[in-house]
Amino acid sequence: MPSKHAAIRAAITGLALLSGISALSVQPAQAIPAFARKYTLDCVACHTAPPRLNTFGERFLENGYQLPGTEDGGITGKKSLGDLSLDDFANYTGVRLRGNVLRSHHFKQQNPPIADRGTVHNNSEFGFPEIFSLFTAGSLTKNIGFFAELESNLEESSTGIERAFMTFNNLGGNNLVNIRVGRIDPSATFSFSTLRQQLEFVGDSVNTSTNMVQRAGLFPLAASAKFYGLHNRSGSVISPYAPSLYNAVAETGIEVRGRPFGDWFMYQIGLLNGANETFGDSNRGKDVYGAVRFDYARTAHFSASLSGFAYLGNSNATILTGTGQADVNWHRYGIAAHVRYKMFDLYGMYTLDRIAHMPTAALTSFDTSASGLSLALDTYVTNRTLLSLRYDHMDAGGDLSQRTSQSFAGFQLKQYLRSNVAIFARTDHNLRRAEDGNAAARNLRHALFAGIDIAY
Amino acid sequence: MHVTRLKYVAILIVMGLCASTAQAVKPPLNRDTLTEGRRIYEQACAWCHGIGGEGDGPAGWFIGRYSSPRPRNFVKDGYKLRSTASGELPTDQDLFKVITRGIPGVMPSYRSLNEQERWQVIAYLKSWNPAFKEEQPVPLTFPSGPQGPTEAGIQNGRNLYVKYDCRVCHGDNGEGDGPEATAGHLRDTYELPIRATKLTDPSSFKNGASPQDIFRTLMTGMDGTPMPAYANEFAGQEEALWELVWYLRSLSGQEGS
Repeated sequence: MPSKHAAIRAAITGLALLSGISALSVQPAQAIPAFARKYTLDCVACHTAPPRLNTFGERFLENGYQLPGTEDGGITGKKSLGDLSLDDFANYTGVRLRGNVLRSHHFKQQNPPIADRGTVHNNSEFGFPEIFSLFTAGSLTKNIGFFAELESNLEESSTGIERAFMTFNNLGGNNLVNIRVGRIDPSATFSFSTLRQQLEFVGDSVNTSTNMVQRAGLFPLAASAKFYGLHNRSGSVISPYAPSLYNAVAETGIEVRGRPFGDWFMYQIGLLNGANETFGDSNRGKDVYGAVRFDYARTAHFSASLSGFAYLGNSNATILTGTGQADVNWHRYGIAAHVRYKMFDLYGMYTLDRIAHMPTAALTSFDTSASGLSLALDTYVTNRTLLSLRYDHMDAGGDLSQRTSQSFAGFQLKQYLRSNVAIFARTDHNLRRAEDGNAAARNLRHALFAGIDIAY
Repeated sequence: MHVTRLKYVAILIVMGLCASTAQAVKPPLNRDTLTEGRRIYEQACAWCHGIGGEGDGPAGWFIGRYSSPRPRNFVKDGYKLRSTASGELPTDQDLFKVITRGIPGVMPSYRSLNEQERWQVIAYLKSWNPAFKEEQPVPLTFPSGPQGPTEAGIQNGRNLYVKYDCRVCHGDNGEGDGPEATAGHLRDTYELPIRATKLTDPSSFKNGASPQDIFRTLMTGMDGTPMPAYANEFAGQEEALWELVWYLRSLSGQEGS
């Protein structure tokens, strides 16, 4: 059985190797991603630390990839096809390679009966960074923008379009009405954005025959599904760790957003196909959501925001009853906040999920409510070293025979070799491992990762 | 004769139109201009420079983090990018140029604001510093340089580079790796560490990379940084300073004007 020390040694070796490889391979070129290239800026003009946005970056995003207070799409984007050069292409295209080069999981019980053979045991393995993303984004012309992200995930053996949408901005006046339509991430402009986390998602593992979770996922649990035994409309199990509803990575629909009274207040309403499906629209109704956000961002290197949302699902999930599959309405309500002062970036979210329209027969075996809390703190301890902490708690709901609540604490050190090249080491600890039972949420004691994050 | 007179009239009309257009672009300094300038500033600039212009906007800290640069404090800081002598305020044209071109790495170009909007912002940000009311910044005169570099001129420029200890910060070959830079001794007025410009990479030149831009930077220095002004050293010897300009451009493989 590999010891904890062995894993730490392996992590250090991995990081040293990564540092060496990176130092050798990085060219002293203008290695900056697409938006930064377009505006000749460093990444940190818009990011506290990628992918987290600072206030300027948030307003750039809200303005449809135009500088805040401007409508620059008509100036920087106007080119005829014949005039396009490789530089123009680079100004609209970026790639990001990220993931773990070393991953190490440690469990209380090795190979428990609920697990596929050989998947739940102490192990440390090297691999290639598993997530490759190709982005193309920018403004087509004044106040019309676009964004598309193609992602390939080696771990999940999946490749596909994550997000793809058009933006129409400043309709009726500056920041009055902005529209996004397509496959959008609803929480993009929320105080706690699902996709902008320093501690990357680490997927759970599901038993191939029983569909039961055999290894817990490491994820901002406030944004996750939180229910055991919930299915999408095509019958596939929804993992309690899957980002979902308002916090989905992407759902197809339309959203309207704006700040009609000035910077201090933002409204957001949206209509989605819902149903937690990658593509398609199998549900009978549509999901709706609304959010408000209050901001303070003026002076003293300080900014803060407070947001709230309500997401009302409409036949957006199913549960199994004794006689078959029944539609349910899955709702979520949440509040989030961020406080940022100089090097400190503190953000968190609390969500409450409810299942409505439950079949009476299933009520005795299914908990219809669940909640989640995620708190994160990022801080630069030096100019190039970012320390990140995250606490996640899930008070799980769903199938009473499976549901297990979970609390994890994560810690990460990220070293920026350049503004767009970082290596990291991360460890996650189960705060409830001492409690009874060997369910996945209890069995995973801790995990250790080392990896790389490159954006170009 | 008649045709010639018409020509002159036409030229005068065109000149008059140009002049009146230029006047119309720069709005008069009045309450409306300041109000509009404030609106634009708060939507476009305050994120880094702060709502009160003190360089402490909510996003500004991340640009340098624990090192230089920090966003300009319009209330009390001096200005790096000027055409005026060291220690003096910039001209309106200097401010207009910075807003229009941006600063590589740290500030985007705001040419997407129309010219009138840029002038309105300038009027507003100047309103924080009373010195702008008391002084009338005068740009230094920059004689036009020789037609182009010669090999001997570039060699003379190299000699000046050594003589004036440029290498101490910028390194022997302009890589920004001089002994003062690598030792971390370079600081700005806030005592924040600052990097020496990599002269081999003109795209990173904050004050522009054309021969005229480089000449101006050498003459005026960059207030608030360790980069001194050489206007006094080269008074009456502008030809020699041009040779230094050609040498600096040769470091990145650029020659000619």
